[in-house]
Amino acid sequence: MNAIRTENLTKKYGSFVANANINLSIPKGEITAIVGENGAGKTTLMNMFYGLGRPTSGAIFVNDQKVDFSSPLDAIHCGLGMVHQHFKLVPSLAIYENIMLGAELPKTLSFKDRFRMQSPFIDKRQERIVIEKLIHDYQFELDPSERVENISIGAKQRVEILKMLYRNVDILIFDEPTAVLTPQEVDELLVNFRELKEQGKTILLITHKLREVMDVSDQVIVIRRGKVVGSRPTIQTSVEEIATMMVGHEVHLQTQKEARAFSKSPVAYQVNGLSTTNYLGKKVLDNISFEIREGEILGIAGVEGNGQSELVKVLSGLMLSTEGGVQLYGEDLTNQWPCEIRKSGVGIIPEDRYAQGLCKEMSLGDNLIAGYHGNSRFCKNNILDQKNICQNRDELLNKYDIRVADPEGTVSQLSGGNAQKVIIAREFDSGLRVLIASQPTRGVDIGSIEFIHRCILNLRQQNKAVLLISSELSEIMGLSDRILVMYKGKIVGEVAGDKANNSQLGLLMAGITK
Amino acid sequence: MKNNHSVISSIYSALIPIVLAFFVGGIIIAVIGEDPFLTYQIMIQKSLFTSQGILKTLHFAAPLILTGLGIAITFKANIFNMGVEGAAVLGAFFAGVVGFSIKGINPGVHITLCLVTGMLVGMIVTLIPAILKAYFKVNEMVVTLMLNYVVVEIVKFLAQGVFKDPASGYVSTYAIADSAMFKKIFNSDLTLFFFIAIGVLIIFYVIFNKSKLGFEITAMGKNPEFAEATGMNVAQKIVLIMLISGAVSGLAGAGFLMSEKYRFTLDFSGDPGLGWDGMLVALLGNHSPIGILVVAIFYAALKTGSEYIGLFTNVPKDIVGVIQGILILFLSVRFISQNTSLRVKVKKLFSKIRPNKLKNDEC
Repeated sequence: MNAIRTENLTKKYGSFVANANINLSIPKGEITAIVGENGAGKTTLMNMFYGLGRPTSGAIFVNDQKVDFSSPLDAIHCGLGMVHQHFKLVPSLAIYENIMLGAELPKTLSFKDRFRMQSPFIDKRQERIVIEKLIHDYQFELDPSERVENISIGAKQRVEILKMLYRNVDILIFDEPTAVLTPQEVDELLVNFRELKEQGKTILLITHKLREVMDVSDQVIVIRRGKVVGSRPTIQTSVEEIATMMVGHEVHLQTQKEARAFSKSPVAYQVNGLSTTNYLGKKVLDNISFEIREGEILGIAGVEGNGQSELVKVLSGLMLSTEGGVQLYGEDLTNQWPCEIRKSGVGIIPEDRYAQGLCKEMSLGDNLIAGYHGNSRFCKNNILDQKNICQNRDELLNKYDIRVADPEGTVSQLSGGNAQKVIIAREFDSGLRVLIASQPTRGVDIGSIEFIHRCILNLRQQNKAVLLISSELSEIMGLSDRILVMYKGKIVGEVAGDKANNSQLGLLMAGITK
Repeated sequence: MKNNHSVISSIYSALIPIVLAFFVGGIIIAVIGEDPFLTYQIMIQKSLFTSQGILKTLHFAAPLILTGLGIAITFKANIFNMGVEGAAVLGAFFAGVVGFSIKGINPGVHITLCLVTGMLVGMIVTLIPAILKAYFKVNEMVVTLMLNYVVVEIVKFLAQGVFKDPASGYVSTYAIADSAMFKKIFNSDLTLFFFIAIGVLIIFYVIFNKSKLGFEITAMGKNPEFAEATGMNVAQKIVLIMLISGAVSGLAGAGFLMSEKYRFTLDFSGDPGLGWDGMLVALLGNHSPIGILVVAIFYAALKTGSEYIGLFTNVPKDIVGVIQGILILFLSVRFISQNTSLRVKVKKLFSKIRPNKLKNDEC
């Protein structure tokens, strides 16, 4: 019996086909992994399962019954639940209150067990008992009375899962569940997956991390460009085979770089005792110090939300530091305006490319000069030189292999990878001396990842200093000469790039420093 | 090609509310028992196709062009400056004060002096919300909106007190000196002020489309976080944009006083007021200088046309007010469909009806 089966499922957005004739069946009580590159159509497919989007044509069968969901509520009623990549929890409420949100148990008033009446009050005691039992049944390690703001990310994820389980869901869809977890937390999650499977639940795992797929799944389905390109029992396949299916050609995920000694090269970028507090008055950066020498790539690893975003904001001038200083070749850059920092030769690849890096509704040419639009090449006497802007655009599109349908058009037409290349082109071409790259390959296809990594290594070749901040451990380990690990706004450890390994970094990322 | 497409769609989106407003207005005229076609014909012919009419229309369009530009530059940068009306009124008032207190100087110097006063006063008024917004993150919409009432009270106080012309039967300041008045050209209503407005329009066209500031305004309007991250000094730019807006608003008020009213009365700005009309002009004209020019002339034509309607037909001239009201209504409908899923819902409704129809046809 199949938990989910699709017949010729197709989803189109205008002329763009996100999913084309998808035929797949997901057996009940098994763990199925759906893998594919970013933009392959995994999320579109899941959204159709979960009632967030309707198929253009084709049909979905849940437990062999044809369904037509118009909202996630319909999906939950049918026993289908989804755990999102970004948690939807209320931090100030306790775990059990979060689970019960929207399904609260009202207090019942009774008179001699005959007249029963529901009151508008919530029966918190009863709620706690119910959730305690639920947690016990699935052997999750949680205290139902704990507030969500005080628990770890892994625990938050378990709360999300419980939310679905409480609603009697037997098919669980996980969207990139491990993106925000430390390696140790990932292992715990995988244990939970096996536990759920034993209880007879069906699990659908969307991911692009192949290690987890091999570890936990029973079946792998590979999607490329909106089509199912392969479906294998996990025991009969290998990481290499899946990777090849995902990309369509063989990939070399290892980056090549030669080792170098840096102790003698001059220091390019120096950060001394940098601290800052956020708008709530919480200290989010605590005494951060490091230096980057010429031709060195310094990686900063860490679970997201441990101060990396704030660090980039302070370094790029979008947030003020309360203590400490930043120096570029001895020149003081502490708390300067973003334009001053750029002028002195710091290139920045921001974390969220559509918020800080690009303006979707503006043209490509305009995006490619943003931040450098005051340069004499583009702007004379406050009047922009359209000819030079167009020329610059055509040069950069060519040089950085940015594929566009319409060079005159806006950035919104570009895929994630090409949009990121627009930022890379703009920053790399500005004559920078130091690059600050935050999550440079997030949500980018494998082809573009290779390209971006090559670009960063090229900078190293040209003796430029690079600060690389990424939550992708393989990226950090592949590129960096030295790795710092951030935990709760502090630097908790330093590891040499060529000596780093997963478990060592994982412990540091969890704040364990021996 | 894409560009052409967006131009056409923006013309459509301005044209549809106008056509619909005329259509509904026509129904009302027909209900009164008059001929809507004849009424519209008189209105358009007299205001646009006679030499006196078109010159009068252009004359009334001048302040609307300026207030429209004042709104457009802030709205484009996603700053909602509602204080254009206040800046125009206060600018006009002090331009008037300079106009009647100084006597016997060269007209050129006097006119320049009055206009500069108007602009400076407009800038001072908008500086308050600008600084509050840029450095203290105070919502500019509330502050500018409320400042309008403050301006009304200040002006009332001054016009009833120190600057009141005792010879006048109602609350009014002294009339400005002859040397501060714009002279009529070709014996029509048109004055030099219209050409000043056109000059400002051309400057704005260059700012919007060719300059560094225009680039930054667009970036700020479309994605403020991006503008800041790429090194634009957003706070400074907010103040600059607001000052420009205040200056053109003050200029609009001053020019209107010196070319049409000649003395400040409490109903100087009219109803709904130069600033509010300017907002409609900017919205209909899609914040583009060319669009603003066309819409301002159209809007002024409605105003001049209304006077001829009263003369030549039995339709009361207030019908133009009705058409303006309906115009605003349909204009806001456009915003609903832009920002909500209403359009999708309407489409869904239609797609539901259509298959049923097909089925019926098959039977």
